[in-house]
Amino acid sequence: MTAAAHPRPSAVAQAVAIAGRSVKGVLRQPPQWVPSLVFPLFFNAVSAAAFDRTRALPGFPEVNSFLTFLLPATILQGVLLGATAAGNDAAVDIENGFFDRLVLSPMSRVSLLGGRLVGSMALGVVQVVFFLAVLSVFGARLENPVAGILVLVVVGALLAGAVGAFSVSIALRTGSVEAVNGFFPIFFAALFMSSAFFPPSLSGGWFETVASVNPITWIVDGLREVIIEGWVPGAAAKAVAVSLALGILAIFMATRSLAARIRT
Amino acid sequence: MTEPILAEGLVRKFGDLVAVDGIDLCVAQGEVFGFLGPNGAGKSTTVRMLTTLLSPSAGTARVAGYDVVTQAAEVRRVIGVALQDAAIDPIMTGRELLKLQAVLHGIPRRISRERGDELLSRVGLSAAADRRVGTYSGGMRRRLDLALALIHEPRVLFLDEPTTGLDPTSRMALWEEVRRLNGEFGTTVLLTTQYLEEADQLAGRIAIIDGGRIVRQGEPEALKDAVGSPTLRVDVDPDHLTRAAEVLQKFGEIRPARSGRLAIGLEGGAARLAEVVRALDAAGVVLNHMELDAPSLDDVFAEATGRRLEGAEEPPAPVEVGG
Ligand SMILES: Nc1ncnc2c1ncn2[C@@H]1O[C@H](COP(=O)(O)OP(=O)(O)OP(=O)(O)O)[C@@H](O)[C@H]1O
Ligand SMILES: [Mg+2]
Repeated sequence: MTAAAHPRPSAVAQAVAIAGRSVKGVLRQPPQWVPSLVFPLFFNAVSAAAFDRTRALPGFPEVNSFLTFLLPATILQGVLLGATAAGNDAAVDIENGFFDRLVLSPMSRVSLLGGRLVGSMALGVVQVVFFLAVLSVFGARLENPVAGILVLVVVGALLAGAVGAFSVSIALRTGSVEAVNGFFPIFFAALFMSSAFFPPSLSGGWFETVASVNPITWIVDGLREVIIEGWVPGAAAKAVAVSLALGILAIFMATRSLAARIRT
Repeated sequence: MTEPILAEGLVRKFGDLVAVDGIDLCVAQGEVFGFLGPNGAGKSTTVRMLTTLLSPSAGTARVAGYDVVTQAAEVRRVIGVALQDAAIDPIMTGRELLKLQAVLHGIPRRISRERGDELLSRVGLSAAADRRVGTYSGGMRRRLDLALALIHEPRVLFLDEPTTGLDPTSRMALWEEVRRLNGEFGTTVLLTTQYLEEADQLAGRIAIIDGGRIVRQGEPEALKDAVGSPTLRVDVDPDHLTRAAEVLQKFGEIRPARSGRLAIGLEGGAARLAEVVRALDAAGVVLNHMELDAPSLDDVFAEATGRRLEGAEEPPAPVEVGG
Protein backbone atom coordinates (compact mmCIF):
# COMPACT_ATOMS: atom_id res chain seq x y z
CA MET A 1 0.00 0.00 0.00
CA THR A 2 2.98 2.24 -0.29
CA ALA A 3 1.96 2.76 -3.90
CA ALA A 4 0.97 6.23 -5.02
CA ALA A 5 -2.47 7.42 -3.98
CA HIS A 6 -5.35 7.25 -6.42
CA PRO A 7 -5.79 10.01 -8.98
CA ARG A 8 -7.20 13.21 -7.52
CA PRO A 9 -10.93 12.58 -7.06
CA SER A 10 -13.35 14.60 -9.18
CA ALA A 11 -15.31 17.24 -7.28
CA VAL A 12 -18.33 16.71 -9.53
CA ALA A 13 -18.44 12.97 -8.88
CA GLN A 14 -18.14 13.67 -5.16
CA ALA A 15 -20.96 16.22 -5.23
CA VAL A 16 -23.19 13.84 -7.19
CA ALA A 17 -22.48 11.07 -4.68
CA ILE A 18 -23.32 13.36 -1.76
CA ALA A 19 -26.48 14.61 -3.48
CA GLY A 20 -27.54 11.04 -4.18
CA ARG A 21 -27.01 10.10 -0.57
CA SER A 22 -29.06 13.12 0.60
CA VAL A 23 -31.98 12.24 -1.63
CA LYS A 24 -31.83 8.56 -0.66
CA GLY A 25 -31.60 9.51 3.00
CA VAL A 26 -34.70 11.69 2.77
CA LEU A 27 -36.71 9.15 0.77
CA ARG A 28 -35.90 6.38 3.23
CA GLN A 29 -37.31 8.43 6.08
CA PRO A 30 -40.93 9.08 5.14
CA PRO A 31 -41.45 11.41 8.15
CA GLN A 32 -39.03 13.74 6.37
CA TRP A 33 -41.04 14.13 3.19
CA VAL A 34 -44.63 12.93 3.66
CA PRO A 35 -45.63 15.95 5.79
CA SER A 36 -44.04 18.33 3.30
CA LEU A 37 -46.41 17.02 0.62
CA VAL A 38 -49.53 16.38 2.68
CA PHE A 39 -49.54 19.26 5.14
CA PRO A 40 -49.59 22.14 2.62
CA LEU A 41 -52.37 20.45 0.65
CA PHE A 42 -54.45 19.86 3.73
CA PHE A 43 -53.88 23.36 5.03
CA ASN A 44 -54.81 24.89 1.73
CA ALA A 45 -57.90 22.79 1.27
CA VAL A 46 -59.08 24.13 4.62
CA SER A 47 -58.22 27.76 3.80
CA ALA A 48 -59.80 27.49 0.38
CA ALA A 49 -63.03 26.28 1.91
CA ALA A 50 -63.00 28.88 4.67
CA PHE A 51 -61.92 31.92 2.70
CA ASP A 52 -63.23 31.29 -0.77
CA ARG A 53 -65.79 34.09 -0.31
CA THR A 54 -63.05 36.65 0.36
CA ARG A 55 -62.39 36.53 -3.36
CA ALA A 56 -65.45 38.73 -3.72
CA LEU A 57 -63.83 41.51 -1.67
CA PRO A 58 -62.86 44.56 -3.69
CA GLY A 59 -59.08 44.58 -4.23
CA PHE A 60 -58.75 40.80 -4.20
CA PRO A 61 -56.93 39.56 -7.31
CA GLU A 62 -59.17 38.19 -10.04
CA VAL A 63 -58.72 34.44 -9.84
CA ASN A 64 -60.84 31.53 -11.00
CA SER A 65 -60.36 29.69 -7.70
CA PHE A 66 -58.91 30.35 -4.28
CA LEU A 67 -56.51 27.46 -4.97
CA THR A 68 -54.97 29.45 -7.81
CA PHE A 69 -54.42 32.31 -5.38
CA LEU A 70 -52.87 29.90 -2.87
CA LEU A 71 -50.60 28.11 -5.34
CA PRO A 72 -47.47 30.10 -4.41
CA ALA A 73 -48.22 29.63 -0.69
CA THR A 74 -48.63 25.89 -1.14
CA ILE A 75 -45.34 25.57 -2.93
CA LEU A 76 -43.46 27.76 -0.46
CA GLN A 77 -44.90 25.84 2.47
CA GLY A 78 -43.85 22.54 0.96
CA VAL A 79 -40.37 23.78 0.19
CA LEU A 80 -39.94 25.18 3.72
CA LEU A 81 -41.02 21.90 5.24
CA GLY A 82 -39.01 19.76 2.84
CA ALA A 83 -35.74 21.63 2.63
CA THR A 84 -35.15 21.81 6.37
CA ALA A 85 -34.52 18.06 6.00
CA ALA A 86 -31.07 19.02 4.66
CA GLY A 87 -30.20 20.78 7.90
CA ASN A 88 -31.74 18.00 9.91
CA ASP A 89 -29.60 15.41 8.11
CA ALA A 90 -26.47 17.50 8.50
CA ALA A 91 -27.07 17.78 12.24
CA VAL A 92 -27.67 14.03 12.52
CA ASP A 93 -24.40 13.43 10.64
CA ILE A 94 -22.55 15.64 13.08
CA GLU A 95 -24.18 13.97 16.08
CA ASN A 96 -23.42 10.42 14.96
CA GLY A 97 -19.91 11.18 13.71
CA PHE A 98 -20.47 10.52 10.01
CA PHE A 99 -19.63 14.14 9.33
CA ASP A 100 -16.09 13.42 10.59
CA ARG A 101 -15.83 10.59 8.09
CA LEU A 102 -16.88 12.97 5.28
CA VAL A 103 -14.42 15.63 6.39
CA LEU A 104 -11.68 12.99 6.61
CA SER A 105 -12.09 12.07 2.97
CA PRO A 106 -10.24 14.16 0.41
CA MET A 107 -13.45 15.92 -0.50
CA SER A 108 -13.62 19.48 -1.68
CA ARG A 109 -15.63 21.73 0.63
CA VAL A 110 -17.68 22.74 -2.40
CA SER A 111 -18.83 19.15 -2.93
CA LEU A 112 -19.57 18.68 0.74
CA LEU A 113 -21.97 21.62 0.79
CA GLY A 114 -23.01 21.70 -2.86
CA GLY A 115 -23.95 18.03 -2.93
CA ARG A 116 -26.43 18.48 -0.12
CA LEU A 117 -27.96 21.58 -1.69
CA VAL A 118 -28.33 19.92 -5.07
CA GLY A 119 -30.15 17.15 -3.22
CA SER A 120 -32.49 19.70 -1.60
CA MET A 121 -33.12 21.44 -4.90
CA ALA A 122 -33.96 18.18 -6.64
CA LEU A 123 -36.53 17.43 -3.95
CA GLY A 124 -37.86 20.99 -4.29
CA VAL A 125 -38.50 20.46 -7.98
CA VAL A 126 -40.35 17.23 -7.28
CA GLN A 127 -42.54 19.06 -4.78
CA VAL A 128 -43.40 21.85 -7.20
CA VAL A 129 -44.43 19.36 -9.85
CA PHE A 130 -46.48 17.40 -7.33
CA PHE A 131 -48.36 20.45 -6.04
CA LEU A 132 -49.02 21.74 -9.54
CA ALA A 133 -50.42 18.40 -10.58
CA VAL A 134 -52.66 17.96 -7.55
CA LEU A 135 -53.96 21.53 -7.38
CA SER A 136 -54.69 21.70 -11.08
CA VAL A 137 -56.89 18.64 -10.70
CA PHE A 138 -58.88 20.63 -8.13
CA GLY A 139 -59.19 23.71 -10.28
CA ALA A 140 -56.05 25.81 -9.93
CA ARG A 141 -55.09 27.28 -13.29
CA LEU A 142 -52.01 28.77 -14.91
CA GLU A 143 -52.73 31.48 -17.45
CA ASN A 144 -49.64 30.47 -19.43
CA PRO A 145 -48.75 26.91 -18.41
CA VAL A 146 -45.27 26.87 -19.94
CA ALA A 147 -44.17 30.13 -18.37
CA GLY A 148 -45.93 29.29 -15.11
CA ILE A 149 -44.37 25.86 -14.69
CA LEU A 150 -40.94 27.14 -15.67
CA VAL A 151 -40.96 30.03 -13.20
CA LEU A 152 -42.47 27.95 -10.38
CA VAL A 153 -39.92 25.19 -10.85
CA VAL A 154 -36.99 27.59 -10.96
CA VAL A 155 -38.16 29.52 -7.90
CA GLY A 156 -39.03 26.29 -6.07
CA ALA A 157 -35.54 24.92 -6.69
CA LEU A 158 -33.83 28.17 -5.69
CA LEU A 159 -35.85 28.49 -2.52
CA ALA A 160 -35.27 24.85 -1.63
CA GLY A 161 -31.55 25.54 -2.03
CA ALA A 162 -31.82 28.69 0.08
CA VAL A 163 -33.79 27.06 2.91
CA GLY A 164 -31.54 24.00 2.70
CA ALA A 165 -28.40 26.12 2.95
CA PHE A 166 -29.81 28.14 5.80
CA SER A 167 -30.78 25.05 7.80
CA VAL A 168 -27.42 23.38 7.04
CA SER A 169 -25.73 26.54 8.27
CA ILE A 170 -27.57 26.26 11.59
CA ALA A 171 -26.67 22.58 11.78
CA LEU A 172 -22.98 23.34 11.20
CA ARG A 173 -22.97 26.11 13.80
CA THR A 174 -24.78 24.17 16.52
CA GLY A 175 -24.32 20.49 15.62
CA SER A 176 -27.77 19.94 17.06
CA VAL A 177 -30.95 18.57 15.52
CA GLU A 178 -33.03 20.44 18.09
CA ALA A 179 -31.52 23.76 17.04
CA VAL A 180 -32.35 23.11 13.39
CA ASN A 181 -35.93 22.21 14.22
CA GLY A 182 -36.11 25.18 16.57
CA PHE A 183 -35.60 27.52 13.64
CA PHE A 184 -38.43 26.05 11.69
CA PRO A 185 -41.24 28.19 13.23
CA ILE A 186 -39.28 31.29 12.21
CA PHE A 187 -39.47 30.29 8.56
CA PHE A 188 -43.14 29.65 8.97
CA ALA A 189 -43.83 32.94 10.71
CA ALA A 190 -42.09 34.68 7.80
CA LEU A 191 -44.43 32.93 5.40
CA PHE A 192 -47.52 34.01 7.36
CA MET A 193 -46.27 37.60 7.58
CA SER A 194 -46.35 37.82 3.80
CA SER A 195 -48.90 38.07 1.04
CA ALA A 196 -48.95 34.27 0.72
CA PHE A 197 -52.34 33.64 2.33
CA PHE A 198 -54.14 36.98 2.13
CA PRO A 199 -53.60 40.21 0.21
CA PRO A 200 -51.96 42.58 2.77
CA SER A 201 -53.64 45.59 1.18
CA LEU A 202 -57.01 44.25 2.31
CA SER A 203 -55.94 44.02 5.93
CA GLY A 204 -53.94 47.24 6.19
CA GLY A 205 -52.22 48.37 9.42
CA TRP A 206 -49.04 46.80 10.71
CA PHE A 207 -49.59 43.59 8.76
CA GLU A 208 -49.43 45.47 5.49
CA THR A 209 -46.22 47.22 6.63
CA VAL A 210 -44.49 44.02 7.71
CA ALA A 211 -45.59 42.11 4.63
CA SER A 212 -44.40 44.84 2.29
CA VAL A 213 -40.80 44.53 3.51
CA ASN A 214 -40.87 40.71 3.69
CA PRO A 215 -38.90 39.20 0.77
CA ILE A 216 -41.36 36.32 0.69
CA THR A 217 -44.07 38.82 -0.30
CA TRP A 218 -41.94 39.92 -3.23
CA ILE A 219 -41.51 36.31 -4.34
CA VAL A 220 -45.20 35.46 -3.86
CA ASP A 221 -46.37 38.57 -5.72
CA GLY A 222 -44.08 37.84 -8.63
CA LEU A 223 -45.23 34.23 -8.82
CA ARG A 224 -48.88 35.18 -8.52
CA GLU A 225 -48.62 37.64 -11.36
CA VAL A 226 -47.09 34.97 -13.59
CA ILE A 227 -49.78 32.50 -12.55
CA ILE A 228 -52.68 34.88 -13.12
CA GLU A 229 -51.47 37.09 -15.94
CA GLY A 230 -49.22 34.72 -17.86
CA TRP A 231 -45.73 35.60 -19.06
CA VAL A 232 -44.86 38.88 -17.32
CA PRO A 233 -41.06 39.20 -17.57
CA GLY A 234 -40.78 41.79 -14.79
CA ALA A 235 -42.77 39.68 -12.33
CA ALA A 236 -40.89 36.50 -13.21
CA ALA A 237 -37.58 38.31 -12.83
CA LYS A 238 -38.62 39.68 -9.45
CA ALA A 239 -39.51 36.23 -8.05
CA VAL A 240 -36.37 34.62 -9.45
CA ALA A 241 -34.03 37.44 -8.42
CA VAL A 242 -35.29 37.58 -4.83
CA SER A 243 -35.06 33.78 -4.47
CA LEU A 244 -31.59 33.83 -5.96
CA ALA A 245 -30.49 36.59 -3.60
CA LEU A 246 -31.80 34.63 -0.61
CA GLY A 247 -29.99 31.56 -1.93
CA ILE A 248 -26.69 33.39 -2.30
CA LEU A 249 -26.99 34.87 1.17
CA ALA A 250 -27.77 31.45 2.68
CA ILE A 251 -24.91 29.76 0.83
CA PHE A 252 -22.55 32.46 2.03
CA MET A 253 -23.68 31.79 5.61
CA ALA A 254 -23.37 28.03 5.17
CA THR A 255 -19.85 28.36 3.75
CA ARG A 256 -18.79 30.44 6.74
CA SER A 257 -20.36 27.96 9.13
CA LEU A 258 -18.61 25.07 7.41
CA ALA A 259 -15.24 26.78 7.68
CA ALA A 260 -15.89 27.48 11.35
CA ARG A 261 -16.78 23.86 12.06
CA ILE A 262 -13.86 22.35 10.18
CA ARG A 263 -11.22 24.66 11.64
CA THR A 264 -11.78 23.84 15.30
CA MET B 1 12.23 8.47 3.27
CA THR B 2 10.24 10.75 5.57
CA GLU B 3 8.77 9.34 8.75
CA PRO B 4 5.06 8.46 8.40
CA ILE B 5 4.22 10.22 11.67
CA LEU B 6 6.28 12.95 13.20
CA ALA B 7 5.04 15.29 15.93
CA GLU B 8 6.87 17.94 17.88
CA GLY B 9 5.58 19.67 20.97
CA LEU B 10 1.97 18.97 20.10
CA VAL B 11 -0.44 20.80 22.43
CA ARG B 12 -4.21 21.05 22.43
CA LYS B 13 -6.22 23.13 24.87
CA PHE B 14 -9.97 23.23 25.32
CA GLY B 15 -10.51 26.47 27.19
CA ASP B 16 -8.49 26.10 30.35
CA LEU B 17 -8.14 22.36 30.02
CA VAL B 18 -4.89 21.14 28.50
CA ALA B 19 -5.93 17.86 26.90
CA VAL B 20 -2.60 17.23 25.16
CA ASP B 21 0.39 18.80 26.79
CA GLY B 22 3.43 18.71 24.55
CA ILE B 23 3.73 15.40 22.73
CA ASP B 24 6.76 14.38 20.65
CA LEU B 25 6.27 11.37 18.47
CA CYS B 26 8.24 9.64 15.78
CA VAL B 27 6.74 6.56 14.15
CA ALA B 28 8.85 4.75 11.56
CA GLN B 29 7.76 3.27 8.23
CA GLY B 30 6.05 -0.09 8.71
CA GLU B 31 5.73 0.21 12.45
CA VAL B 32 2.69 -0.67 14.57
CA PHE B 33 2.74 1.97 17.25
CA GLY B 34 0.55 1.70 20.34
CA PHE B 35 -0.78 4.61 22.32
CA LEU B 36 -1.71 3.32 25.76
CA GLY B 37 -3.50 5.38 28.36
CA PRO B 38 -6.51 5.64 30.66
CA ASN B 39 -9.76 7.55 29.99
CA GLY B 40 -9.17 11.21 29.35
CA ALA B 41 -5.42 10.78 28.82
CA GLY B 42 -5.56 12.63 25.50
CA LYS B 43 -5.36 9.72 23.07
CA SER B 44 -8.32 10.70 20.91
CA THR B 45 -7.35 14.36 20.96
CA THR B 46 -3.90 13.43 19.65
CA VAL B 47 -5.39 11.22 16.94
CA ARG B 48 -7.80 13.98 15.91
CA MET B 49 -4.91 16.40 15.53
CA LEU B 50 -2.80 13.95 13.53
CA THR B 51 -5.75 13.23 11.23
CA THR B 52 -6.48 16.95 10.55
CA LEU B 53 -9.81 16.97 12.42
CA LEU B 54 -8.55 19.28 15.16
CA SER B 55 -5.97 21.99 14.84
CA PRO B 56 -3.16 21.98 17.42
CA SER B 57 -2.93 24.86 19.91
CA ALA B 58 0.84 24.63 19.61
CA GLY B 59 3.48 22.42 18.04
CA THR B 60 3.64 20.80 14.63
CA ALA B 61 2.93 17.41 13.13
CA ARG B 62 3.67 15.83 9.78
CA VAL B 63 1.96 12.71 8.45
CA ALA B 64 3.48 11.00 5.41
CA GLY B 65 5.63 14.09 5.10
CA TYR B 66 2.71 16.53 4.93
CA ASP B 67 1.96 19.16 7.54
CA VAL B 68 -1.37 18.39 9.20
CA VAL B 69 -2.38 22.06 9.27
CA THR B 70 -1.09 23.57 6.04
CA GLN B 71 -1.34 20.42 3.89
CA ALA B 72 -4.43 18.84 5.42
CA ALA B 73 -5.87 17.85 2.03
CA GLU B 74 -2.74 15.85 1.13
CA VAL B 75 -2.75 14.17 4.52
CA ARG B 76 -6.36 13.08 4.04
CA ARG B 77 -5.57 11.36 0.76
CA VAL B 78 -3.04 8.97 2.27
CA ILE B 79 -4.46 8.17 5.70
CA GLY B 80 -7.15 5.78 6.82
CA VAL B 81 -8.96 6.55 10.04
CA ALA B 82 -11.33 4.63 12.30
CA LEU B 83 -12.37 6.96 15.07
CA GLN B 84 -13.35 5.89 18.55
CA ASP B 85 -17.07 6.20 17.82
CA ALA B 86 -17.79 4.38 14.59
CA ALA B 87 -18.56 7.16 12.12
CA ILE B 88 -21.33 5.74 10.01
CA ASP B 89 -24.72 6.71 8.66
CA PRO B 90 -27.50 4.40 9.92
CA ILE B 91 -29.80 5.08 6.96
CA MET B 92 -27.44 3.61 4.37
CA THR B 93 -26.41 0.00 3.85
CA GLY B 94 -22.86 -1.18 4.45
CA ARG B 95 -22.21 -1.61 0.75
CA GLU B 96 -23.58 1.85 -0.08
CA LEU B 97 -21.30 3.46 2.47
CA LEU B 98 -18.27 1.66 1.04
CA LYS B 99 -19.25 2.80 -2.44
CA LEU B 100 -19.69 6.40 -1.30
CA GLN B 101 -16.33 6.30 0.43
CA ALA B 102 -14.72 4.95 -2.75
CA VAL B 103 -16.19 7.77 -4.86
CA LEU B 104 -15.03 10.38 -2.36
CA HIS B 105 -11.52 8.97 -2.70
CA GLY B 106 -11.72 8.91 -6.50
CA ILE B 107 -11.40 5.13 -6.84
CA PRO B 108 -12.62 3.87 -10.22
CA ARG B 109 -15.88 1.93 -9.95
CA ARG B 110 -14.48 -1.35 -11.28
CA ILE B 111 -11.75 -1.42 -8.66
CA SER B 112 -13.95 -0.19 -5.86
CA ARG B 113 -16.57 -2.89 -6.34
CA GLU B 114 -13.99 -5.66 -6.19
CA ARG B 115 -12.17 -4.16 -3.26
CA GLY B 116 -15.42 -3.42 -1.44
CA ASP B 117 -16.52 -7.06 -1.71
CA GLU B 118 -13.15 -8.26 -0.52
CA LEU B 119 -13.16 -5.91 2.47
CA LEU B 120 -16.72 -6.85 3.41
CA SER B 121 -15.82 -10.52 3.47
CA ARG B 122 -12.60 -9.84 5.36
CA VAL B 123 -14.45 -8.03 8.16
CA GLY B 124 -17.18 -10.69 8.11
CA LEU B 125 -19.98 -8.49 6.81
CA SER B 126 -20.72 -10.06 3.41
CA ALA B 127 -24.09 -11.36 4.56
CA ALA B 128 -25.09 -8.05 6.16
CA ALA B 129 -23.74 -5.82 3.37
CA ASP B 130 -27.15 -4.90 1.98
CA ARG B 131 -28.78 -4.25 5.31
CA ARG B 132 -29.07 -0.74 6.69
CA VAL B 133 -26.29 0.04 9.12
CA GLY B 134 -28.89 1.09 11.70
CA THR B 135 -29.66 -2.61 12.19
CA TYR B 136 -26.00 -3.54 12.85
CA SER B 137 -24.71 -4.46 16.29
CA GLY B 138 -22.00 -2.33 17.89
CA GLY B 139 -19.28 -4.78 16.85
CA MET B 140 -20.54 -4.91 13.26
CA ARG B 141 -20.46 -1.10 13.08
CA ARG B 142 -16.85 -1.06 14.23
CA ARG B 143 -15.90 -3.64 11.64
CA LEU B 144 -17.65 -1.68 8.90
CA ASP B 145 -15.88 1.43 10.09
CA LEU B 146 -12.57 -0.38 9.69
CA ALA B 147 -13.51 -1.44 6.16
CA LEU B 148 -14.37 2.20 5.35
CA ALA B 149 -10.97 3.25 6.64
CA LEU B 150 -9.25 0.76 4.31
CA ILE B 151 -11.07 1.18 1.00
CA HIS B 152 -8.41 3.49 -0.45
CA GLU B 153 -5.46 1.39 0.77
CA PRO B 154 -4.04 4.02 3.09
CA ARG B 155 -0.33 4.26 3.75
CA VAL B 156 -0.87 5.28 7.35
CA LEU B 157 -3.71 3.87 9.41
CA PHE B 158 -5.07 5.45 12.59
CA LEU B 159 -7.24 3.29 14.82
CA ASP B 160 -8.69 4.91 17.93
CA GLU B 161 -9.56 2.17 20.43
CA PRO B 162 -10.44 -0.25 17.64
CA THR B 163 -11.37 -3.14 19.91
CA THR B 164 -13.28 -1.39 22.68
CA GLY B 165 -16.67 -3.07 22.82
CA LEU B 166 -15.70 -6.04 20.65
CA ASP B 167 -16.14 -9.61 21.82
CA PRO B 168 -12.95 -11.69 22.18
CA THR B 169 -13.36 -13.39 18.79
CA SER B 170 -13.81 -10.10 16.95
CA ARG B 171 -10.91 -8.64 18.87
CA MET B 172 -8.60 -11.44 17.76
CA ALA B 173 -9.84 -11.07 14.18
CA LEU B 174 -9.05 -7.36 14.26
CA TRP B 175 -5.57 -8.02 15.62
CA GLU B 176 -5.03 -10.48 12.77
CA GLU B 177 -6.18 -7.91 10.25
CA VAL B 178 -3.83 -5.27 11.63
CA ARG B 179 -0.93 -7.73 11.52
CA ARG B 180 -1.81 -8.72 7.97
CA LEU B 181 -2.00 -5.12 6.73
CA ASN B 182 1.25 -4.37 8.42
CA GLY B 183 2.98 -7.55 7.27
CA GLU B 184 1.73 -7.77 3.68
CA PHE B 185 1.57 -4.11 2.72
CA GLY B 186 3.86 -2.48 5.24
CA THR B 187 1.05 -0.18 6.35
CA THR B 188 2.13 1.99 9.24
CA VAL B 189 -0.39 1.78 12.06
CA LEU B 190 -0.98 4.02 15.04
CA LEU B 191 -3.53 2.57 17.40
CA THR B 192 -4.76 3.73 20.76
CA THR B 193 -5.93 1.41 23.44
CA GLN B 194 -6.75 1.11 27.11
CA TYR B 195 -5.90 -2.58 27.04
CA LEU B 196 -2.47 -3.60 28.22
CA GLU B 197 -2.61 -6.90 26.41
CA GLU B 198 -3.47 -5.22 23.12
CA ALA B 199 -0.54 -2.84 23.35
CA ASP B 200 1.72 -5.71 24.37
CA GLN B 201 0.61 -8.14 21.64
CA LEU B 202 0.12 -5.86 18.70
CA ALA B 203 2.48 -2.93 18.99
CA GLY B 204 6.16 -3.03 18.21
CA ARG B 205 6.62 0.15 20.17
CA ILE B 206 4.33 1.94 22.57
CA ALA B 207 3.92 5.28 24.24
CA ILE B 208 2.20 5.45 27.59
CA ILE B 209 0.18 8.63 27.82
CA ASP B 210 -1.29 10.13 30.96
CA GLY B 211 -2.65 13.59 31.59
CA GLY B 212 -1.76 14.66 28.06
CA ARG B 213 1.92 13.73 28.34
CA ILE B 214 3.93 10.75 27.20
CA VAL B 215 5.35 9.27 30.38
CA ARG B 216 7.16 6.24 28.89
CA GLN B 217 8.03 5.27 25.35
CA GLY B 218 9.74 2.24 23.87
CA GLU B 219 9.40 -1.45 23.05
CA PRO B 220 7.07 -3.24 25.47
CA GLU B 221 9.76 -5.76 26.47
CA ALA B 222 12.33 -3.07 27.16
CA LEU B 223 9.86 -1.06 29.24
CA LYS B 224 8.93 -4.11 31.28
CA ASP B 225 12.57 -5.09 31.79
CA ALA B 226 13.25 -1.63 33.14
CA VAL B 227 10.75 -2.23 35.93
CA GLY B 228 12.92 -5.11 37.21
CA SER B 229 11.32 -7.17 39.94
CA PRO B 230 8.02 -9.04 39.54
CA THR B 231 4.93 -7.75 41.32
CA LEU B 232 3.54 -9.63 44.29
CA ARG B 233 -0.13 -8.89 44.96
CA VAL B 234 -1.69 -9.88 48.23
CA ASP B 235 -5.28 -9.81 49.49
CA VAL B 236 -5.59 -9.97 53.25
CA ASP B 237 -8.27 -9.59 55.83
CA PRO B 238 -9.14 -5.85 55.88
CA ASP B 239 -8.19 -5.62 59.58
CA HIS B 240 -4.70 -6.91 58.83
CA LEU B 241 -3.80 -4.47 56.04
CA THR B 242 -1.42 -2.28 58.05
CA ARG B 243 0.32 -5.18 59.69
CA ALA B 244 0.72 -6.94 56.33
CA ALA B 245 2.14 -3.80 54.76
CA GLU B 246 4.77 -3.58 57.50
CA VAL B 247 5.86 -7.14 56.84
CA LEU B 248 5.78 -6.86 53.06
CA GLN B 249 7.87 -3.73 52.73
CA LYS B 250 10.86 -5.70 54.03
CA PHE B 251 10.75 -7.72 50.79
CA GLY B 252 10.60 -4.87 48.28
CA GLU B 253 9.20 -1.43 47.54
CA ILE B 254 5.45 -0.92 47.80
CA ARG B 255 3.74 -0.53 44.43
CA PRO B 256 0.36 1.01 43.64
CA ALA B 257 -2.51 -1.44 44.06
CA ARG B 258 -6.24 -1.47 43.98
CA SER B 259 -7.85 -0.52 47.29
CA GLY B 260 -8.05 -3.40 49.74
CA ARG B 261 -4.96 -4.97 48.20
CA LEU B 262 -1.25 -4.68 48.65
CA ALA B 263 1.48 -4.93 46.05
CA ILE B 264 5.25 -4.92 46.20
CA GLY B 265 8.07 -5.39 43.77
CA LEU B 266 9.40 -8.69 45.09
CA GLU B 267 13.16 -8.48 45.13
CA GLY B 268 14.72 -11.82 44.39
CA GLY B 269 11.58 -13.03 42.64
CA ALA B 270 9.71 -16.31 43.12
CA ALA B 271 12.50 -17.85 45.18
CA ARG B 272 11.48 -15.73 48.13
CA LEU B 273 7.75 -16.51 48.07
CA ALA B 274 7.92 -19.10 50.82
CA GLU B 275 9.78 -16.66 53.01
CA VAL B 276 7.05 -14.02 52.50
CA VAL B 277 4.30 -16.46 53.42
CA ARG B 278 6.13 -17.55 56.60
CA ALA B 279 6.72 -13.93 57.64
CA LEU B 280 3.04 -13.01 57.12
CA ASP B 281 1.97 -16.10 59.03
CA ALA B 282 4.31 -15.29 61.88
CA ALA B 283 2.76 -11.81 62.07
CA GLY B 284 -0.70 -13.40 62.34
CA VAL B 285 -1.93 -12.07 58.97
CA VAL B 286 -4.74 -14.08 57.34
CA LEU B 287 -4.04 -14.44 53.62
CA ASN B 288 -6.99 -14.57 51.19
CA HIS B 289 -5.21 -14.47 47.89
CA MET B 290 -1.71 -14.10 46.56
CA GLU B 291 -0.24 -13.81 43.08
CA LEU B 292 3.12 -13.15 41.55
CA ASP B 293 3.37 -11.68 38.07
CA ALA B 294 6.34 -10.97 35.86
CA PRO B 295 6.58 -7.20 35.23
CA SER B 296 3.71 -6.10 32.98
CA LEU B 297 2.91 -2.91 31.16
CA ASP B 298 0.61 -2.18 34.07
CA ASP B 299 3.66 -2.14 36.29
CA VAL B 300 5.34 0.18 33.84
CA PHE B 301 2.29 2.43 33.98
CA ALA B 302 2.15 2.24 37.77
CA GLU B 303 5.80 3.04 38.11
CA ALA B 304 5.44 6.06 35.81
CA THR B 305 2.21 7.47 37.20
CA GLY B 306 1.69 6.04 40.68
CA ARG B 307 -1.64 4.55 39.57
CA ARG B 308 -2.86 1.27 38.11
CA LEU B 309 -4.37 1.09 34.65
CA GLU B 310 -5.71 -2.43 34.91
CA GLY B 311 -9.26 -2.57 36.21
CA ALA B 312 -9.30 1.18 36.61
CA GLU B 313 -12.98 1.30 35.71
CA GLU B 314 -14.00 -1.90 37.45
CA PRO B 315 -15.28 -1.93 41.00
CA PRO B 316 -12.90 -3.69 43.42
CA ALA B 317 -13.28 -7.45 43.06
CA PRO B 318 -14.86 -9.32 45.95
CA VAL B 319 -12.27 -11.01 48.13
CA GLU B 320 -11.91 -14.65 47.22
CA VAL B 321 -10.29 -17.37 49.24
CA GLY B 322 -7.52 -19.47 47.73
CA GLY B 323 -6.15 -18.78 44.32
N1 LIG C 1 -14.19 18.84 22.23
C1 LIG C 1 -13.78 18.88 23.51
N2 LIG C 1 -14.12 19.93 24.30
C2 LIG C 1 -13.71 19.99 25.58
N3 LIG C 1 -12.93 19.07 26.17
C3 LIG C 1 -12.55 18.01 25.44
C4 LIG C 1 -12.95 17.86 24.08
N4 LIG C 1 -12.43 16.71 23.62
C5 LIG C 1 -11.74 16.17 24.63
N5 LIG C 1 -11.80 16.94 25.74
C6 LIG C 1 -11.14 16.67 27.03
O1 LIG C 1 -9.78 16.41 26.78
C7 LIG C 1 -9.31 15.38 27.62
C8 LIG C 1 -8.70 14.29 26.78
O2 LIG C 1 -9.73 13.65 26.06
P1 LIG C 1 -9.48 12.48 25.02
O3 LIG C 1 -10.78 12.22 24.38
O4 LIG C 1 -8.35 12.85 24.14
O5 LIG C 1 -9.07 11.30 25.96
P2 LIG C 1 -8.85 9.76 25.59
O6 LIG C 1 -7.49 9.42 26.02
O7 LIG C 1 -9.19 9.51 24.19
O8 LIG C 1 -9.88 9.06 26.55
P3 LIG C 1 -10.84 7.78 26.31
O9 LIG C 1 -10.05 6.58 26.64
O10 LIG C 1 -11.92 7.98 27.30
O11 LIG C 1 -11.31 7.82 24.92
C9 LIG C 1 -10.50 14.94 28.47
O12 LIG C 1 -10.41 15.58 29.71
C10 LIG C 1 -11.68 15.43 27.70
O13 LIG C 1 -12.73 15.75 28.57
MG1 LIG D 1 -10.57 8.43 23.24
